[in-house]
Amino acid sequence: MSISDVVRTLPANRMVFEVRRDMALVRRFKDDLEGLMAQYGLGEDEKEAFRAQDLKRMAELGIHPYFLTQITRLYHGSGRNTQSSAAAQAYIKALVEAPK
Amino acid sequence: MAELVCTMAVAHAPGLTGWLDMATPEQQIGLQAGYAELGRMLREARPDVIIGFSNDHILNLALDNTPDFCIGTASAWRGPAPWFRDWLDIDEYSVPGNPEVARTLVRELDRHGIAFAFRDDLLFDDNFSVPLTTLTPNYDIALVPVHMNCIVPPVPSAARCFEVGAKVGEIVREALPAGLRVALLGTGGLSHDPGGPRYFEIDEEFDRWFLALIENGESARALAQCTLERLRAAGDGGTPELLAWFVPWGAAGGSGARVVCYEPTVAMRCGMGGVVWNTGGAR
Repeated sequence: MSISDVVRTLPANRMVFEVRRDMALVRRFKDDLEGLMAQYGLGEDEKEAFRAQDLKRMAELGIHPYFLTQITRLYHGSGRNTQSSAAAQAYIKALVEAPK
Repeated sequence: MAELVCTMAVAHAPGLTGWLDMATPEQQIGLQAGYAELGRMLREARPDVIIGFSNDHILNLALDNTPDFCIGTASAWRGPAPWFRDWLDIDEYSVPGNPEVARTLVRELDRHGIAFAFRDDLLFDDNFSVPLTTLTPNYDIALVPVHMNCIVPPVPSAARCFEVGAKVGEIVREALPAGLRVALLGTGGLSHDPGGPRYFEIDEEFDRWFLALIENGESARALAQCTLERLRAAGDGGTPELLAWFVPWGAAGGSGARVVCYEPTVAMRCGMGGVVWNTGGAR
């Protein structure tokens, strides 16, 4: 997992890029993820990763590592993003503690 | 002839405004005092405009079109972008821009073979919001932001950023209006790796090595050794933000800077600090 492994053409990268820029899309990420994923043309493997909140799979598919931290905040909230925050803990659980 | 009255670089990580209390008491004191001093020096240089260089964080420059540099031409800016406000714990602010300075830089850099993209709708996250709120909390000094691509390879080399800074310094002195007071501010770094393999680490040894190069004015050595690979080894998707520091360093002619503060703040998932090359028009 590195910035060299990013797949720039991956639809999910476009979706995450747009979501952070627009609070209406942030709300849709929470309330209508399926519709949002369809709108941006995500493949079935990408959709499965987002449904399962599977950060490891997202990384394998080529989502930018910087976006992974923001995806944890889309799922779990951004405030007080300390090491013990739900967002940081989700990252730790998926990508630090999980078997390689 | 305008005057370059302050040349500075600072880290901009969100923990500084969002969860500083998680750092050790000594680190909190060090950063609060350090950023207060950096802000005092910047404001006492009385700049009319700050030309800022920072990582875009893929917030405006999408993955299908990532110029190395994109300058903001708006007459006013608002920040932080709404989704980032609770993360940064920074209320909405507005700060003036300076379209004429931005457009002059675009035109003059073109003549030197350096193409800046430009637009008037840039969103800010921590990249400019954290430096502005800590250094210029009244948001009363115009900002010309330059968003850089630091984390979507290929990115500009340290040498290219240094060259850009040298040219920007030249243009400030030769093409911007007489009497205009200009500050140059790089923001980003130090070691960190948001979302990457070293997300919960920093590389204090690298940070201190890098700061020593700046302090000693060893720009030739830094340009030779701060390859993208070296920066990435210290934090794959974050430490290359230090490319933004090479811009003011180039404008300062590669001279030595004063390291005002540095703290290896693991709790903020980023090494934090700031340096100043010159203030008050001294060169």
